[in-house]
Amino acid sequence: MGKEDIPTINEGVPSSIIQFAQLDKVLNVGRANSLWPLTFGIACCAIEMMATGAARFDMSRFGAEVFRPSPRQSDVMIVAGTITKKMMPGIKTLYDQMPEPKWVMALGNCAISGGPFAFEGQYSIVTGADEFLPVDVYVPGCPPRPEALLQGIIELEHKISGWQRWKSPKTKTVPSL
Amino acid sequence: MELQFTEFLYRDSILWISAFAMGGLCFALGPIAIVYLLMPLKTRQILKKRDQFIECAMDPIGDSWIRYGVVFYLYALIFLAFDVDVLFLFPVAVAYNGEWLNGSYRDFIEIVLFVGILSLAVVYAWVKGVFKWERKTYQR
Repeated sequence: MGKEDIPTINEGVPSSIIQFAQLDKVLNVGRANSLWPLTFGIACCAIEMMATGAARFDMSRFGAEVFRPSPRQSDVMIVAGTITKKMMPGIKTLYDQMPEPKWVMALGNCAISGGPFAFEGQYSIVTGADEFLPVDVYVPGCPPRPEALLQGIIELEHKISGWQRWKSPKTKTVPSL
Repeated sequence: MELQFTEFLYRDSILWISAFAMGGLCFALGPIAIVYLLMPLKTRQILKKRDQFIECAMDPIGDSWIRYGVVFYLYALIFLAFDVDVLFLFPVAVAYNGEWLNGSYRDFIEIVLFVGILSLAVVYAWVKGVFKWERKTYQR
């Protein structure tokens, strides 16, 4: 199994000229409530992404329904599917063209770890988006259900702003017998 | 008091007008300035392809500054000739047969002259062979 040296970036979000903590919080809440994903489906997880954007699951409840066809207008890259080595430069280019602040969501097992393609001797699949992208949210599933993608978006909102749409349910401790 | 042409007419309103103009300017330029101050100054890059024109991720094949045959500009020009023709015929049609020209052939002669001069453009193009639908090769 050939191991390639795929460079990844580990920088933080670049800073702006003016920074106020309170203002940044407000801006981040705004950003979290209006995530614009990139229309970018590279494999079958994109079908689930389409379903999430459509009426039944209604991504627009979370302000994230505006799938932009241009990377220059979007701020979330949903890597929806298997990343082939042929597609990887394209994904990198799209990531480069997205304006800051930008976030990456790895949707599905292929984008997380290569999924069913991560076996001995495979030569064509990149085993995971985080080999070359700074992934923020991982949504497991093969493919993930639309609810899972919505949950991923909610988690991303939480990560961006620290603000939670709903309180997370309290974990109940089961009394030991 | 008779107002002179050289006199500034709205002297009393100058404050309001300038305040309004300044307000408009602030509304136009303010968002740009605010965004510039608050935006992240660079974007994280992997391949340094932020400035690639094509937004579909694939590297463009060749340059977009290529030569190609401009056939339709001639038709655009001819259209302009017809268009001006029609445009100026509307007021003629309104004024035609008006009372002040009644009974003379002057309006008819004038319109014939006008349309005739404008049609010369079409005739010129016709003579030049614009209306022949052929592939033209140009000397480069």
